[in-house]
Amino acid sequence: MLKLLKEIFRTGEATVKYPFAPMPVCKDFRGKPEHKAEDCIACAACTVACPANAIGMETDTAAGSRTWAINYGRCVFCGRCEESCPTGAIRLSDDFELAVGSKADLTRKAVFTLADCACCGKPFAPAKEVDYVARLLSQSARSAEEADRLRLTVSTCPACKRAQDVHQIAGMGIALQMEAGKPVKELETTP
Amino acid sequence: MNVPVDPKTLVAEMSPVSTSEQIASMKKALLKTIQRSAYVYRVDCGGCNGCEIEIFSSITPVFDAERFGIKVVASPRHADILLFTGAVTRSMRMPALRAFEAAPDPKIVVSYGACGCTGGIFHDLYCVWGGTDNIVPVDVYIPGCPPTPAATIHGFAVALGLLEQKLKAETHVELAGEAAALPHPDIPYALRVRLEREARRMAGYRQGRDIAEEFMALLEGRAHTPGSFTLLECMMEAIAEERDPRRAEIIGRLAEVVQQAIRGEAP
Ligand code: SF4
Ligand code: SF4
Ligand code: SF4
Repeated sequence: MLKLLKEIFRTGEATVKYPFAPMPVCKDFRGKPEHKAEDCIACAACTVACPANAIGMETDTAAGSRTWAINYGRCVFCGRCEESCPTGAIRLSDDFELAVGSKADLTRKAVFTLADCACCGKPFAPAKEVDYVARLLSQSARSAEEADRLRLTVSTCPACKRAQDVHQIAGMGIALQMEAGKPVKELETTP
Repeated sequence: MNVPVDPKTLVAEMSPVSTSEQIASMKKALLKTIQRSAYVYRVDCGGCNGCEIEIFSSITPVFDAERFGIKVVASPRHADILLFTGAVTRSMRMPALRAFEAAPDPKIVVSYGACGCTGGIFHDLYCVWGGTDNIVPVDVYIPGCPPTPAATIHGFAVALGLLEQKLKAETHVELAGEAAALPHPDIPYALRVRLEREARRMAGYRQGRDIAEEFMALLEGRAHTPGSFTLLECMMEAIAEERDPRRAEIIGRLAEVVQQAIRGEAP
């Protein structure tokens, strides 16, 4: 009996204090995916990576907006969104207290505006994404003109880029140049 | 031909069972005046059993949900709380409804796990109803795949009205002039990509990203401090300070990548 009591005192209390005291979680615990909308460029990489389709995007070209939405009720806390995010805008936090009484409280949304194509003026990609890519490319540009040209290129929608390429190729007269033995002019993808 | 099928068209839509006003007010009274243990009956509607294991781990001595009087019972006829787990497969719909009908009113229905809340990872399977609330009215949702025992206890506390829910629906609207910051503008983009890739190859996306961030912050910090350091010296210093041999190895490898880039070698 005494031995048993001793053993009990030695062991102490195994039960955690939670919910009266905060629950410590281990490092790199995979809890609620925390989305920092300020850093998000609405690139949709997480949307594609999410195996449970907990993250979705809807594009409304009439309103010129793209809405990112996460449903914590569907998330399986796999961390693939964090893995694929280029800007680190989404990261799994150590928050696990997600229980709610109404289902609507399980969603979080972020609305982004779309940028218009520099050529045809139709909305084609989120403005933040275009801006981010342009800045990233001009970081490694050799001159200011090249940076401007790159910015113009990324602000052009794919359809316009294709049309310009075709136009340029036709204008170059490649067959004629090759016949004359001249070097072929390089292709430029600017309007 | 692989034509995508809208899974909604494959399942018959049926309105879920609704509770009457009287039962709703009884439920409120139950929450206020419950003077005894709350009995929980667990209904497995076709989950992967991960949720069941976590429910049982939350009634073990370590988490001990029974200290709040939460007791798992063997029959729905004794239950105050019905705990639905799983994505509600076609074949488990009837048994789940029978368990719901068998429990005496007023009862609290808790939807447990990602599957119970919305269907989770199984939400678009042809054979699932996709969530408890498609068949019965749900009072509390506990997301998680599976919810940890601590999350389970929090969920029960919310269900019994002891704790407030933390999560609220939010909508962020892009502000004018909002722009994502470029990470490490002082480090050439090509080098940053090489460093991040190498760190992630060696340590995975979470720790890899953290180590690469730390390393680049160190590089930038050193570039701005007065006095001359050779890159090698400052790397050796960082490696010597590192306690964890695995991290020291990764930092060493990243330093090598920087050296390679300086020498102009291909990765
Ligand atoms: S953690 Fe996994 S399931 Fe959850 S939102 Fe991210 S990718 Fe989707
Ligand atoms: S991957 Fe990151 S930046 Fe892209 S949409 Fe998702 S959260 Fe935003
Ligand atoms: S929520 Fe996750 S752990 Fe629970 S039954 Fe569904 S798949 Fe399994």
